[in-house]
Amino acid sequence: MRGKLLKPVLNNFDVRTKLAITASLSTIAVFVQNVYVLGFIFVISVLLSVLFYGSPLKTFKSTSKLWYIFLAIVILQSIFNRSGQQLFAINGFVLITAGGLLKGAEFLLRMSIIIFTATIVASSNYREIVQGLVQLKIPYEIAFMVSVAIRFLPLLRSEFLDVLTAIQLRGLDIKRIPVKKRLKVYSYILMPVVAGAVNKAHNLSIAMETRAFRIYPQRTSYLILKLGKKDYIFMVFILLFTIAVFISYYVFNFPGRVL
Amino acid sequence: MKLIKQIRVIYLAYIKAVDVAFGYKKEKMVLKNLNMELSGGHFAAITGPNGCGKTTLGKLLMGILKPQSGKIFIEGKDIGQMSLGQAGAKIGYLFQNPAMQIFAPTVEEELSFIMNLKGYGKDVIEKEVNTILELLHLKEKKYSSTYNLSYGQKQRLAIGAILIGGPGYLILDEPTTGLDALRRETLFNILNDLLSRGTGVVIISHDMKFIERFTGRLFKIHEGQIIETGIK
Repeated sequence: MRGKLLKPVLNNFDVRTKLAITASLSTIAVFVQNVYVLGFIFVISVLLSVLFYGSPLKTFKSTSKLWYIFLAIVILQSIFNRSGQQLFAINGFVLITAGGLLKGAEFLLRMSIIIFTATIVASSNYREIVQGLVQLKIPYEIAFMVSVAIRFLPLLRSEFLDVLTAIQLRGLDIKRIPVKKRLKVYSYILMPVVAGAVNKAHNLSIAMETRAFRIYPQRTSYLILKLGKKDYIFMVFILLFTIAVFISYYVFNFPGRVL
Repeated sequence: MKLIKQIRVIYLAYIKAVDVAFGYKKEKMVLKNLNMELSGGHFAAITGPNGCGKTTLGKLLMGILKPQSGKIFIEGKDIGQMSLGQAGAKIGYLFQNPAMQIFAPTVEEELSFIMNLKGYGKDVIEKEVNTILELLHLKEKKYSSTYNLSYGQKQRLAIGAILIGGPGYLILDEPTTGLDALRRETLFNILNDLLSRGTGVVIISHDMKFIERFTGRLFKIHEGQIIETGIK
């Protein structure tokens, strides 16, 4: 039942519409430094992610490691930012202030918006993404590189995990060795992962050359994307929404500062 | 104490699977209520058609995958209670792609870095590395870059790196793939040598020509069940 409720419902939109949504919301996330606005955009991002991509749990699971890093950055940011009221101190040394906590929350919301809006584009297959970029007049070589990166990132991740397993199978209990030696182990893990990536890139380039990649200046494509009425409406709406957010924030200074 | 350990290795099951079931998707089980015992120092082969679950079984025996039901024991200890490192110290596992388990830039470092991390002395490491290089016919490659080795050399190096930990058993996943007749012969001699030294060997393969050259046990996986037959 839960799975049924969280299946994507907006799956027939053009990839360019999805790119426009991602670009607009991410731009707001990067430029606006107000926790209320960021919170509002975050809610919209999660909502759109569910409508386009499906369950937000899927997003959390696939990016689980990143959240630890974000959380660590939030803690560091709260410690080093000393503005606002003191909230926590040890022996007179202020550790957390209201300003620090606010900056941390802003950072976390910003990153969450970027990740959730990225899933909107990820709801299209890589072929559609390439074609979308090409029809947006981005050179095919760059669009193709983007698609290769999208395809290879999960592979690289699983390769890293496989290599981590392989090194432990040598009888090495990673959790029980000192941090210094653990770092050394991670440097060894990079070797097969990087060598594998270089090999894959080399083989891919050979395969592409043998299939006459870039031999003609013009490319034809079997897949041609067409923007529908709903795409135009959605794109205009998201553009107006983005402009409205910026005008309200920069011109009318709304909503005001939290602290 | 050493004698008792040797008796246990020879006469008791080194690896034991009890009612093991596993599936990548809950609705489709790859292996169903599988039971098998492998005694120390012996040869065994696991065979079956593509996609029948040979590699999955190998990964379960090694502790890389966890069974959905049932238990696997290594020397009587539940593998579920062991870390990958602890299981790896008992059983060596050769992946289908040996390049995936080569970590260091040179052959010598590849064989020695785990011992280095474990804090062994230089002399002990040097002696062990030379013994393995001799055993695997890689002596002349001691200072070579691992990146430039041939497939067969990489495979032997990966076996050597596993052996340096002194495991009691080796599980080799499709070890003859991509090997020419000469390299297959080399691999056969190496495995025979290991068996004579008391290291158990399990080969996961459908290369019957290679398997039939050994004396031991043959397990066939059919529709998620294991059927044991002897090697003819």
